[in-house]
Amino acid sequence: MIELKGVKKSFGKHEVLKDVSIKVEEGEVVVILGASGSGKTTFLRCINFLEKADEGTMQFGDKTIDFKTAKKNEILHVRRHSAFVFQNYGLFANKTALQNVMEGLTQVQKKSKAEAEKIAKETLDWVGLSDRYDYYPSQLSGGQQQRVGIARAIALKPEVILFDEPTSALDPELVGEVLDLIKKVAQMGITMLVVTHEMSFAQDVADKVIFMDAGVVVEEGKPDEIFVNPKEERTRQFLSRIISLEPMYNI
Amino acid sequence: MGSYFDFERFLFVFPKVISCIGVNLQIVAVSMFFGTILAVFVALARLKPIPVLREIISVYISFMRGTPLLVQMMIAYYGIPLLLSDVFLNVFGINLNRLDSVIFVEIAIVLNEGAFLGEIFRGAISAIPAVQKEAAYSIGMTGAQSFFRIVLPQSFKLIIPAYGIDLVGVFQNTSLVFTLGIVDLLGKAKTLGAATGHTLEGYISATIIYIALSLILKGFFLTVERKVYSYGV
Amino acid sequence: MVFKISAFLESFLSAIKYAHVTIELTAISFVISLFLGLIIATIRHFKVKVLSQIFAAFITIYMGLPMMVAIVLYNLIFMTCYPDIALKLHINIPISEINPIFIGYFALIMGYTCILSESIRGAYRGVANVQFEAGYSIGMTKLQTLRRIILPQMVPILLPGMQNSLIGLLKASNLVSAISIIEIMNGALLPSVRYYSYLEGYVAAALVYWIIGATIEILAHYLEGRVGNYNKKSEYKTGRTEESIDRIKRSEEKLWQA
Repeated sequence: MIELKGVKKSFGKHEVLKDVSIKVEEGEVVVILGASGSGKTTFLRCINFLEKADEGTMQFGDKTIDFKTAKKNEILHVRRHSAFVFQNYGLFANKTALQNVMEGLTQVQKKSKAEAEKIAKETLDWVGLSDRYDYYPSQLSGGQQQRVGIARAIALKPEVILFDEPTSALDPELVGEVLDLIKKVAQMGITMLVVTHEMSFAQDVADKVIFMDAGVVVEEGKPDEIFVNPKEERTRQFLSRIISLEPMYNI
Repeated sequence: MGSYFDFERFLFVFPKVISCIGVNLQIVAVSMFFGTILAVFVALARLKPIPVLREIISVYISFMRGTPLLVQMMIAYYGIPLLLSDVFLNVFGINLNRLDSVIFVEIAIVLNEGAFLGEIFRGAISAIPAVQKEAAYSIGMTGAQSFFRIVLPQSFKLIIPAYGIDLVGVFQNTSLVFTLGIVDLLGKAKTLGAATGHTLEGYISATIIYIALSLILKGFFLTVERKVYSYGV
Repeated sequence: MVFKISAFLESFLSAIKYAHVTIELTAISFVISLFLGLIIATIRHFKVKVLSQIFAAFITIYMGLPMMVAIVLYNLIFMTCYPDIALKLHINIPISEINPIFIGYFALIMGYTCILSESIRGAYRGVANVQFEAGYSIGMTKLQTLRRIILPQMVPILLPGMQNSLIGLLKASNLVSAISIIEIMNGALLPSVRYYSYLEGYVAAALVYWIIGATIEILAHYLEGRVGNYNKKSEYKTGRTEESIDRIKRSEEKLWQA
């Protein structure tokens, strides 16, 4: 489905991604873990060309794209067959929940307004926001905003959804509702690539876990392998640190 | 001030002064219309990293912001005919020296507004969080779609308050045009003074008109602002 | 008609010669307006009864008066009233010997006191309320808290706007040319009258203004780099947005930047 090879990215002198390669099969849920600054968010953004990678190639469906020479229509192709869920929701501030979901359907997929509205309403119902169609983002809670963000993504029927720390901007009590929804999306069989700090979520949902540190993939494998028997020392350190911190979240 | 200010004279002069307000309003309308168009291009040119153009625009903005409008008007008034009179006379058959001085004033204000409004527009556009553009891209929109459907409508909201204040400022700046012999509010007050020997009533009339209309315009923009801000964001 | 370099140079030198008039007008008016503006803003921020309402009403109305109208109006009032006042007070100086520059000072200070008081009021609101409470909590008086905690925090908030106000005042001081005070512009025009080289004169004046304005900008930039280090971090996070909004707000001062 998607395969990235040799992705490199620097911000000035700081090398954020040093030769990252991953492969995601169709229908697979892949979770990327790593400390902040490990490059995982940058990597996810590179896939959707929100950051321009310096080097590397991407096999997307049957298309192969070189990041260095990526053309406008190749970028649009990837964006139109994938969706992105932002850490800070990224809802269009000038549009209501319903308009946020409709926007891509009418403007990008050129669906009729009536059809777009029907799909958008169904999707919002599905994420549990049937009573919030006409609310502006500023009138919604963080959890509700993120659910609109997810509705906007799935309404477009993408081949893959990229989640960039979808719960890390949320108040602790709202994390659950969003994680439950993402699990529901995963059960639909959509290919997903999720950057997150939620360990138990990764353990429950992921088909594959990738651990990144300092701009490289340190280790990847089934969740059981990674969480129970990590091979690499760096993974072990990261996990022990997180697990020892975890109880603190319950205060 | 009893003996200097005569209320009957004031009642006689006031209608005469206010009858010239069209001159001021026309300058405001023309300058704002063309100034706004120019400003959009200035803002876009400042936001795009085009090497030489960028430098030229920043020198232009620096000049417009760093020199008094009165001096700019005078340079337009004396400079434009000098630069272009031959061209206009030979090509279009227009004698620039005979043109109404209002036109030169308007050109000066348009250029001035291009810089000031341009900076307001640029500020508002770059104040829209990057994630709005990214979200538009992520659902497959093109650059133009994301600018015109997502970023620009959101920046309008930020522009409205500053735009209103700017427009009131342009109206107040029309008080400079009498120095070029244009018979506007202040110009009329002055000519009436020269004719009757009593100027104070005319100036007081102009003062009242300027204050009243400034307050009305501000109130109008405040209402628009409230309307616009009553939803979302 | 052509652009005569020699006439331009003569005008430029003449403008430089009179630049001190403009600079004094600008600097003195600015300092006094800043002081008065601070007092008015403080009165309004703490909602002192009666006074704060009077100032609020006055400032709202006065901001509707263009600087040019104010200058010619004050000048006219002075010209008409002076002979009688002089007679009553037994002053024997003829009106032609009185330098009308004090009218310029009066108009500029009135206008900019209003503008600066509004900026300072904004800065008061920019300092979190908890800063006052923190001051009181360790036993400081209101005045102590103001002087030692609040005002220092207002400086970095105010600086960018102050730079614009100062340049605005520099440009507004040009309007005193309308009451025959010889400042940069009228100075630049002195040679022009002889040679009928007005364009050269105005371009020379523009250049001198531009140089002074650029100097202010450079100095302000240097100052901004030196103060307000304590909130650098938050600036890093939201800097772009705040800076842009700030820029929009600053355009408010356009009102007076004739």
